[in-house]
Amino acid sequence: MIAQPRPDQEPAPQQATILEEQRRTIRELQTPVIQVWQGILALPIIGSLDTARAQDMNEALLDMIVQTSSEIVILDITGVPLIDTAIAKHLLETVAAARLLGAEALIVGMSTRTALTLVHLGLDLSGVTTRTTLAKGLELAFRRLGLEVVPRARANPDAAFADAGDI
Amino acid sequence: MARVPIIEIAGLLVVTVQEELHDRDALRLQEELTDRLERTGSRGVLLDLSGVETVDSFLGRLLTEIAQGARLMGAHTVVVGIQPSVAITLVELGLELQGISTALNAARGLSRLRHLLAAEGGRGRT
Repeated sequence: MIAQPRPDQEPAPQQATILEEQRRTIRELQTPVIQVWQGILALPIIGSLDTARAQDMNEALLDMIVQTSSEIVILDITGVPLIDTAIAKHLLETVAAARLLGAEALIVGMSTRTALTLVHLGLDLSGVTTRTTLAKGLELAFRRLGLEVVPRARANPDAAFADAGDI
Repeated sequence: MARVPIIEIAGLLVVTVQEELHDRDALRLQEELTDRLERTGSRGVLLDLSGVETVDSFLGRLLTEIAQGARLMGAHTVVVGIQPSVAITLVELGLELQGISTALNAARGLSRLRHLLAAEGGRGRT
């Protein structure tokens, strides 16, 4: 967990608390798993992805899939500046692990550069559904769950009328 | 030594692994399941692994083999209840159970199995 301060140079209690808080914040920032809708989880990945971080991410994600009974997981790589073989491998592992729990993983935030890099690296992503933006991924997720987002007036004219009366 | 029960419900075979599956039990399960598929003519197998907390490469490979065997007997297999730690281990071992359908729990697995059978145009024997 948290490294114990060495007795010979123990920081002041206040400082130690701040350090611990910062560490915890960083750790939490690394792996936020967000439930964006019932049955849909999103995992925004910011920065690079090393093995330790990928493991934390996997564990947090899989636990969350079980907790929320989610069927779709959206991995957002918009915030990953550069994809290399190692990162791609971690992503594919996450996709595979999620699938074992019965959840489908979508990779979104695919930029031109990332797509070309992946192609150049010769990585096989044929089994993974990808989209360019989170919005498109979310739209696909809704469709997979049989949901549809429509303007309110069209979905239920009476409801729109009733609301207008309230204002 | 745990004997794993194979229950026939509505034309489907339901296998619930309630404790750790040792190599020998797993092999026996494979044999019994294939045998039951032959005798009952079931078209679907629901394999519930929620009681399994550890898995090794042997068991991982055997799961794939069980599903492949079931397919040869004309049945679909859906593996359900895989625990997060087991999923991580399987992926680390490079055993991603490709070609096997998965679902979070038995209820979801059952509807998935029905869906697979319906997509095939037929129905499980009832």
